[in-house]
Amino acid sequence: MTASDLLRVLRERKGTALSVTLHVLVLGWGLMTFSARSLEPVYEEDVIPVDISVDDTTKMTAGVKNGKKENTKPLVEKVAEAKPVDEPVGKIDKKEVTTSTSTPDPPPKPVDKPVEKKPDPKPDPKKEEPKQAEKKPDEKANDPIAEALKNEAKKPPKQEAKAAPQQPPKPKQERVFDQSKIAALLDKRDPSRQAVTGDIINPNAALGTRTGNANAMVATWHAAFVSAVKRCFNFPYNGQDADQFEVDIDVRMRPDGTVAAPPAVVAVRGPSKSVGAAMGESARRAIEQCQSYAFLPKSQYDSWKLIQMTFGLKDLL
Amino acid sequence: MSKAPIVTRRRFMMATGSAIAALGVQSAWGQGRIKIDPDNFQPMPIAIPAFVPGTPADGQAGADVAGVITNNLKRSGLFAPIDPSAFIDRITNSDDPPRFANWKQINAQALVVGRVTRQGDGGLKAEFRLWDVGTGQQLDGQSYVTSPEYWRRISHIISDRIYERLTGEKGYFDSRVVFIDESGAAERRVKRLALMDQDGANVRYLTKGADLVLTPRFSPSTQEITYMEFGQGDPRVYLYNIETGQREIVGNFPGMSFAPRFSPDGQRIIMSLQQGGNANLFVMDLRSKSMTRLTDTPAIDTSPSYAPDGSRLCFESDRGGKPQIYVMAATGGQAQRISFGDGTYSTPVWSPRGDYIAFTKQGGGQFAIGIMKTDGSGERILTSGFHNEGPTFAPNGRVVMFFRDPGGNSGPSLFTVDVSGRNELRVPTPGYASDPAWSPLLS
Repeated sequence: MTASDLLRVLRERKGTALSVTLHVLVLGWGLMTFSARSLEPVYEEDVIPVDISVDDTTKMTAGVKNGKKENTKPLVEKVAEAKPVDEPVGKIDKKEVTTSTSTPDPPPKPVDKPVEKKPDPKPDPKKEEPKQAEKKPDEKANDPIAEALKNEAKKPPKQEAKAAPQQPPKPKQERVFDQSKIAALLDKRDPSRQAVTGDIINPNAALGTRTGNANAMVATWHAAFVSAVKRCFNFPYNGQDADQFEVDIDVRMRPDGTVAAPPAVVAVRGPSKSVGAAMGESARRAIEQCQSYAFLPKSQYDSWKLIQMTFGLKDLL
Repeated sequence: MSKAPIVTRRRFMMATGSAIAALGVQSAWGQGRIKIDPDNFQPMPIAIPAFVPGTPADGQAGADVAGVITNNLKRSGLFAPIDPSAFIDRITNSDDPPRFANWKQINAQALVVGRVTRQGDGGLKAEFRLWDVGTGQQLDGQSYVTSPEYWRRISHIISDRIYERLTGEKGYFDSRVVFIDESGAAERRVKRLALMDQDGANVRYLTKGADLVLTPRFSPSTQEITYMEFGQGDPRVYLYNIETGQREIVGNFPGMSFAPRFSPDGQRIIMSLQQGGNANLFVMDLRSKSMTRLTDTPAIDTSPSYAPDGSRLCFESDRGGKPQIYVMAATGGQAQRISFGDGTYSTPVWSPRGDYIAFTKQGGGQFAIGIMKTDGSGERILTSGFHNEGPTFAPNGRVVMFFRDPGGNSGPSLFTVDVSGRNELRVPTPGYASDPAWSPLLS
């Protein structure tokens, strides 16, 4: 059967053709709609660790790759509008001094104001109600707890109790959204983020030289590190010469905040060699015991891959 | 402050390739070394579970040994043994590494495990291991064999090992104290010479109480004591060997008020002898019994005590008006006054460590026990009240024992306090006790 034969048959049997067409459409829709599909497993979103970074502010002066060699100008996003320069001698506004013929108003007499009484600490009768109800449970009520709950439900919410009772409640006005007044809803305050202005636009952040050095903000994690090691450093010594003992220890760190190698005691000072040695061991154990120091900022690893410490006993006395 | 390094491991560091500090590289912090000082003194938490019994019959011995070690370390004030009821793990085999997480959870920093086994020949074997809980390192391990009746001594020796390993200082637990045991009514007090372990156990009486005995002194190097006994006439000084029980009379010394003290080598004794209204210091060689005069002043020089190196001695003298503490060379000569506080100072005792002199200070109706550096600086009162007297140092110089008499019908008791003034504790004695003298370490 050729295509022309098929067309002829369809023309002759319009009803059949319509039926076939509709069936195809219905079945096709069904196939599309009810097709079984294996559900993709739902994965819980991984917890994304958020590093609170202070780099942006502390590395203002860091070098940038695309910085100009000798560009020490600050970032400028917008050319400033020229402002009229004030006269260097200063402006003096003239103001006529008029003589007054009228006597000045006497100063207002101090009015003896009664000291505002603090609101009477009388309990709000409304509030008392449930208490009374609690104190005197309804005799009819078999279940005192259920009764108390009922009373609790009757009790006006606290916010209402605070509102002035005299004012009749205003009928609530339904909010009508008026598209033409959208502009009124816009915050017309000046944006807090101001463009950095200057005479020439400079797209480089900060001072932006290629060789600029950033100041590492060590204080933020220095204190945390000291505090963490202190937790584990507990050397039992009660001598009056405790303040004379000091142990210098160097420790190499891994980027994950763990100790890379056993901490090295590089010097011991104090009146007793054996006590100093025991103190050094105690300090080494403390450093290893309290790891990992995962709070150390990874971005500043270079500054803490070798940590040099001095342990003392000053405050034991 | 002495900054001279006494241990430097830079060479070792260079050899191992970690020579950053030695090469003079600036601290990575840019602010020098980080200073870490503990905020305050905290005794070290330590767990001492009962020693594992080697045979079913050794259960009590295991618990007893652990108990003595616990008591020793607790009394030192430097350690805080954890109450066994807080333990969440049991040690069943002292040779296996402990499950450190379970000991870390109860905040133990150190863990002592051990085993006590009665041997086939009747001996007692005690083994122990000291672990650092934080790092899982074994810090010490030792095994001892002795007769079962010396189980307390083994416990003291193990305590000393633990103390020394963790503090760097010699312990003092394997030592004894000689004292005057007092019994009976106040007006008819019987005084006997007695000996006990430093923790108050194993009391032995060395005299019967027929004659009054006073001021025993331990030799710093031998197990010998001197003491005074008042018989029918003048006070006699005896030399008593604790190990052999031999007693030897040194001589009759009229007017003597304190027994002589030994020189550090135990070969000489130093004493104060009264001549008329004055008292001066003399040294006697114990072998030849020859006497050498050290002071010749119209004053009362008394209570001499040698420095541990034997080069100097401290004593009490009223040559300046009131009794004060003076220091001079062991051969005599110019004496230097070192006490200048209010009140009077007496019974100075030089620490076996050499760093302090303990004393009794009287003033304002109070008797205080204190220490000062050997140049008189850094005076520190350790305890004060009515009638504290007779300080004596532990062999490591870290603890002072003294006696306190509340007066009235009551009697004196012994106390210890550490040199920082912390951890004052009563020493248990069978009756009243006074005049303690601490022995050197037995081993």
